[in-house]
Amino acid sequence: MSIEITMPRLSDTMERGTIIKWNVKEGDAVSAGDNVADIETDKATMEMQVYDDGHVARIVVPEGETVDVGTVIAIVAEDGEDLDDIAASAPTRTDAPDEPDATDATDEPAAAPRQAPPPADGDGRVKATSVARRLAEEHEIDVGTLQGSGPGGRIVKRDVLRAVEAGHETAAAVPPAARAAVPATPVPTTPVVETTALEAAQALRPGTVPLTGIRQTIARRLVEAKATIPHYQVTVTFAMDSLLSLRTTLNDQLVEQGVKLSVNDFLVRACALAIHQHPEFNASWGGDHLEIHGDVNIGLAIALPPARGGGLVVATVRQADSKSLRSISHESKRLAEKARTRGLTLDEMADSTFTISNLGMFGVEHFTAIINPPNSAILAVGAALQKPVVRDGELTIGWEMSATLSLDHRIIDGASAARYLATLKQLIENPATLLV
Amino acid sequence: MTRTIEYRDALREAMSEEMRRDQRVFLMGEEVAEYQGAYKVSRGMLDEFGPHRVIDTPISETGFAGLGIGAAMSGLRPIIEFMSWSFSLVAADQILNNAPKMLYMSGGQFPIPIVFRGNNGAGGQLGSTHSWCVESLYAGVPGLKMAIPFDAYDAKGLLKTAIRDDNPVFFLESERLLGIKGEVPEEEYLIPLGQATLRRRGDDCTIVGFGRPLYFCLEAAEALAREGIECDVVDGRTIRPLDIDSIAESVRRTNYCVVVDQSWPFASIGAEVAAQVHEHCFDDLDNHVIRVHSDDVPAPYAYNLEQEMLPNARKIVEAVRAVTYAG
Repeated sequence: MSIEITMPRLSDTMERGTIIKWNVKEGDAVSAGDNVADIETDKATMEMQVYDDGHVARIVVPEGETVDVGTVIAIVAEDGEDLDDIAASAPTRTDAPDEPDATDATDEPAAAPRQAPPPADGDGRVKATSVARRLAEEHEIDVGTLQGSGPGGRIVKRDVLRAVEAGHETAAAVPPAARAAVPATPVPTTPVVETTALEAAQALRPGTVPLTGIRQTIARRLVEAKATIPHYQVTVTFAMDSLLSLRTTLNDQLVEQGVKLSVNDFLVRACALAIHQHPEFNASWGGDHLEIHGDVNIGLAIALPPARGGGLVVATVRQADSKSLRSISHESKRLAEKARTRGLTLDEMADSTFTISNLGMFGVEHFTAIINPPNSAILAVGAALQKPVVRDGELTIGWEMSATLSLDHRIIDGASAARYLATLKQLIENPATLLV
Repeated sequence: MTRTIEYRDALREAMSEEMRRDQRVFLMGEEVAEYQGAYKVSRGMLDEFGPHRVIDTPISETGFAGLGIGAAMSGLRPIIEFMSWSFSLVAADQILNNAPKMLYMSGGQFPIPIVFRGNNGAGGQLGSTHSWCVESLYAGVPGLKMAIPFDAYDAKGLLKTAIRDDNPVFFLESERLLGIKGEVPEEEYLIPLGQATLRRRGDDCTIVGFGRPLYFCLEAAEALAREGIECDVVDGRTIRPLDIDSIAESVRRTNYCVVVDQSWPFASIGAEVAAQVHEHCFDDLDNHVIRVHSDDVPAPYAYNLEQEMLPNARKIVEAVRAVTYAG
């Protein structure tokens, strides 16, 4: 019995998903737990696992397409089943027409336009304009094999013309009688090369770039945050000499174990420990009450590479207050790497109680960040820089790092913010305490 | 032989030629005689034709519109000038309820060969009540015809045909176009009502327009050509009858259509043309028709706001990009 793989509901609010990438192709063996595809939801790009063993008989929804939750996107044949049989009998997403009579092809297109048969299930309807359908028919191209570049994936004239140029004409060269003997497999598609947002930006051509799901979510959440949270900022500068020196010492000793602690790892730990003395930093605004969270979960803002559509996500280091620097370092690296290559799961992004955004690696000295709801604060961290400083009444060269807290004034007042930063400063400037 | 004359001169030539040709034709309206026309369209006509055929009226549109209809019923062929079509609203009962229906209601006894003409649309900072685009308001009434000339050549050729037509013709000019010069032949010519023409040729998208907004269309088409989008600009010339066949012929070639109409979007000429294009070209469209109108607000007085309200070239460029999926 073949297994239909449907678009999964990967979050509570997800209604549609986009296949960003298939990690398998037709004919590949799959085992339960394999990540077969990357799916973009309204929140993030996530992995999709299969729950059965078998072989991929058919990929129904190609990369780049967006379909409703529940739509069949692939068929898996169980061991022992014949892939071709299943592929041939599987529901096609598209309107691969019934095999035409030999006379069919000679009809004037206008006299008897062939309508797509209703799809086998789901919202498999092929959206194509009148002209696109007629042109496709004239060139004997199955519109269902095309990727639409119009709104909502609508197949428009230029999609058909591109396909014609790309050599779909060869299908028309096959005489109708010969085609009748060919099983109803779709004409192989040449993927339409889409201009990526990046290329468009580089060329500085005027135009519009469709929003990715992540971009829409960023826009919605940050507008909501900036518009509803009464933000204010408090900046502090840390003397970093001790911390950098400790870091060098530790990294020298741990190099053989493959551990390399970053400044950010120290910060995660320091912020988490400081929260113990300032519980309002681990709180959320509840309208008529404050919600104090039991776990200190530090969110890390991670920029995504343009190849994955850009944008940013916040990964969560859970219970950071009870984790060692080594453990925080390991987890941060894993989350950042996974976010940039495969995408994080919802769980890996959920439940942060305080967020750190660090632009130090870009040499940024100072910036302010927008609070990541439902957090009460976010720390915007700049680079540790060598500066002329006054230490013990003497002008000398020292390492300094600036950090700016953005705070929700409904939860945290200025004096509280100052006290939290004082605790943080104490921890960072006396970093041995972070080791215990 | 052609000469270059202003749009207003072309209108006068049309009226004068028809008045010389046919004794039954006369001109009546506010300031058309002694003052030589509020916009100098009828300059010199009083001298040539005398006060019996070039007649000043009181400021009473209902009165002189009704008088004209009565004259038409009695066998004359009046030209009634509204200083602005905005002022025709007070004469609505005469021009909408009597003129277009009289032939029908009289069982064919009383044709009304009358031309109502004047400035239509935003004249330039005339405010909300004096900037009417009446085409969408009036064109729906059966029994009338409506012309909306683009340039001097069309103004003359269409007006002569309108004067000779046995039905009421609503002739919509534009204060913004009166001073625009164009080539007009010395020889007599007529332009039939209901025959569109191409103002620019291009295979990528059809832009349909009427009257003054055609200048915005041409400006937009010029800009789009620099982006590599070549547009057909179809001048409908008359709104009723509407030459949908010519419009459809263009759309079948380009597969895309933008309709530009200076009236408001709701229940408008643009909506009518779009509906007819959908009916005639359903199988030839690669996108639904997009309409460009004046914004759905009373005309603002402020210069910058008025320019923004109009169906200007920027809006048309955006519409063409959108309809051709180039945006």
